[in-house]
Amino acid sequence: MDKVLELWYASGIYNLGGGQLVMIIVGLLLLYLAIRKNFEPLLLVPIGFGGILANIPEAGLAFSAVENAIHFAKPEVMATLANTLGVSGTVDAHALLEAYHTSNASTHAAATLAANDYGYSSGMLYNFYTVAIASGAAPLVIFMGVGAMTDFGPLLANPKTLFLGAAAQFGIFATVLGAVGLSAMGLMDFSIQDAAAIGIIGGADGPTAIYVASLLAPQLLGAIAVAAYSYMALVPLIQPPIMRALTTESERKISMVQLRHVSKTEKILFPILLLVLVALLLPDAAPLLGMFCFGNLMRECGVVDRLSDTAQNALINIVTIFLGLSVGSKLSADKFLDVQTLGILILGIVAFGIGTAMGVLMAKLLNKLEGGNAINPLIGSAGVSAVPMAARVSNKLGLEANPQNFLLMHAMGPNVAGVIGSAVAAGVMIKFVG
Amino acid sequence: MDNLLSEGLTLMVFGMGFVFVFLTLLVGITTGMSKLVTKYEPAPQPKAAKPAPAAAAQSGNNDELVAVISAAVHKYRS
Repeated sequence: MDKVLELWYASGIYNLGGGQLVMIIVGLLLLYLAIRKNFEPLLLVPIGFGGILANIPEAGLAFSAVENAIHFAKPEVMATLANTLGVSGTVDAHALLEAYHTSNASTHAAATLAANDYGYSSGMLYNFYTVAIASGAAPLVIFMGVGAMTDFGPLLANPKTLFLGAAAQFGIFATVLGAVGLSAMGLMDFSIQDAAAIGIIGGADGPTAIYVASLLAPQLLGAIAVAAYSYMALVPLIQPPIMRALTTESERKISMVQLRHVSKTEKILFPILLLVLVALLLPDAAPLLGMFCFGNLMRECGVVDRLSDTAQNALINIVTIFLGLSVGSKLSADKFLDVQTLGILILGIVAFGIGTAMGVLMAKLLNKLEGGNAINPLIGSAGVSAVPMAARVSNKLGLEANPQNFLLMHAMGPNVAGVIGSAVAAGVMIKFVG
Repeated sequence: MDNLLSEGLTLMVFGMGFVFVFLTLLVGITTGMSKLVTKYEPAPQPKAAKPAPAAAAQSGNNDELVAVISAAVHKYRS
């Protein structure tokens, strides 16, 4: 009978907490959205599944060795850890966790070793997170792959579209202001770092958002990544009403002249020039834009096709798996089931909306400056990056207004400009509040 | 709390300003680079144009073609 009881006490049902149950349902919901509704399935399937894994009771997959040791709370282990972490008085789990999370690197390592001595090890997802996201590696490798997939041709043919990519970044900064405003009103409790990480959702760029969140607000990473990828999937629903509201029928009908031919030399020189500019002006954006330029150079130089092929196919797929599972590991009940997550979801969609609107308005301004019949304002919305979804939305609305009007290639210019713009914005954030 | 708001405002002004400055510079540099490249490397256009005159010459200038081919054959044999 004792054995049966022991099995029962170790079972998932016995240990399942309310929060874990809700988070498993959230994970299942993400899987449903990805599989049935086709919402960014490449990311949301691993994230949803990782979220379920992270919330399996007793398995401790998303916890470090020390957290697992504290969870099982054997008296002699707790005493050793309390000693290592310098906690005095009555040993309780909360105080230990608090001390562990705020400890400096050497104490942190000592506590981990102490937990290892007692036979506790870090969970699988925790290890994935450490290697893939805490180190910054996975978002950067993905950014390299994105660079290898990006064709700067349309941008080089019409460099002015860079302004559209710049204008759309206003969504990021307006959202930062919104987030600190909510804190100032006492509705939420976001620090300036949290606000910056939330704003980057408006950049509509998954890897950039994850990179910035991992540096500035790791505790919000799960919610930020889920919001960023969900809204990227919702671009075809969020953008069109804003674009229609801000443009007139005749503006939507403007057809643009065909783009000029861009030579191979220009395409090879562009990532190098961009890199030099980053190096001179904003070294904080160097990890993101450096990898991006490297990927793009591999694509355009034409002598390392094998590397370019790996970067944009096999490697990006492998890294996406680990990135998704690692993000899922941050979907734990105590961090996700919080009023802050609701705030992040609302602020994220506001960021998207403002970015889209500013892109369109900037395109209208450029159009006025160019004589009123050169730039279709619909391509402005593509400045929020979300490659290539946002460009397709511009194309679709253009075709609705004028069936002969193909805006796709014209919208790709601001679209890739948006990627550069959000990476620059990320660099500025890291510089100012990191 | 006012401190937080002013921090957010500063971040917005500086951040947006920097993004614009950076991308404006990039527009300038890119335009300049494209101009230089098209000036010093007008290769693609002539390359595309060359085969056409050669094909047109075939009918009008047969003697020259025969001379060139025989010279090539001669060189190959020797």
